[in-house]
Amino acid sequence: MDEPRVARLVQAALRCYPARWQRRHGDEAAELATLLIRDGTPAGSVALSYLAGAAREWLTPRPVRQPVRRPRRRPGRRLSAAACALLAAACSLGVSAGLLASAGPARAASPSPARPPAPCQPARCQPGSAEPVPAVGRPQVIIRVAGHGRSC
Amino acid sequence: MAVGRRDGKAGPDVLRRAGEASVLVLISLAGGPRHGYALIQDIKELAGVELGPGTLYGALDRLERLGLIEPLPAEDRRHPYRITAPGAAALRVHLDEVERVSAAGRLRLQLGGI
Repeated sequence: MDEPRVARLVQAALRCYPARWQRRHGDEAAELATLLIRDGTPAGSVALSYLAGAAREWLTPRPVRQPVRRPRRRPGRRLSAAACALLAAACSLGVSAGLLASAGPARAASPSPARPPAPCQPARCQPGSAEPVPAVGRPQVIIRVAGHGRSC
Repeated sequence: MAVGRRDGKAGPDVLRRAGEASVLVLISLAGGPRHGYALIQDIKELAGVELGPGTLYGALDRLERLGLIEPLPAEDRRHPYRITAPGAAALRVHLDEVERVSAAGRLRLQLGGI
């Protein structure tokens, strides 16, 4: 994975933490992630650790410092934040898996026999484009219509 | 690392429910003040455990809330932490407790002839 993408992934994970945590540890955590990735720790693992930490941070009850009346919050806010963090983790894992799949020689390792390239029907793919849309940075979706594999 | 009493009372071993990561962080800080990256490296060397950064910050926050560690003035973007006197005492109690249970376990293994 290239460096800007790794940085974006880690930044996205760090943004899942509460603002209070980000103010306190945000810069150091970003630097720590850079150092760990440079040492050979997989970027996905670092991001996932931060996402799990963010979920824990939202779910851990904090001692109330001031007995001041605050505006009532929605009861499910913490849960929805945690769910959001978990969803982001799942998405990032999906993206990473997709990147790995597209980067590897998936076609060479495919057990199915090679077929001659079938012309992509514009009506079924993208209007106005007779060429198959190249899937850059994501896995190709193969739609099988009447026994013919088409990349769309 | 759930070593403790089963009578439900909060014993002097405040680390018994703090989790393995917290104990490892405290052991590492017993050797001197360290910041996040140095802690991860030291724990990896000391115990063969690779703490994730999210786990590390969770443990640091928990220990700080318990008053067992305290942050030192920041160096650049890094925040070093050091163990406090109550932290050292808590670690001593916890390690004694672990040692006691460990000795009991060894004795049982010997008696059982396993």
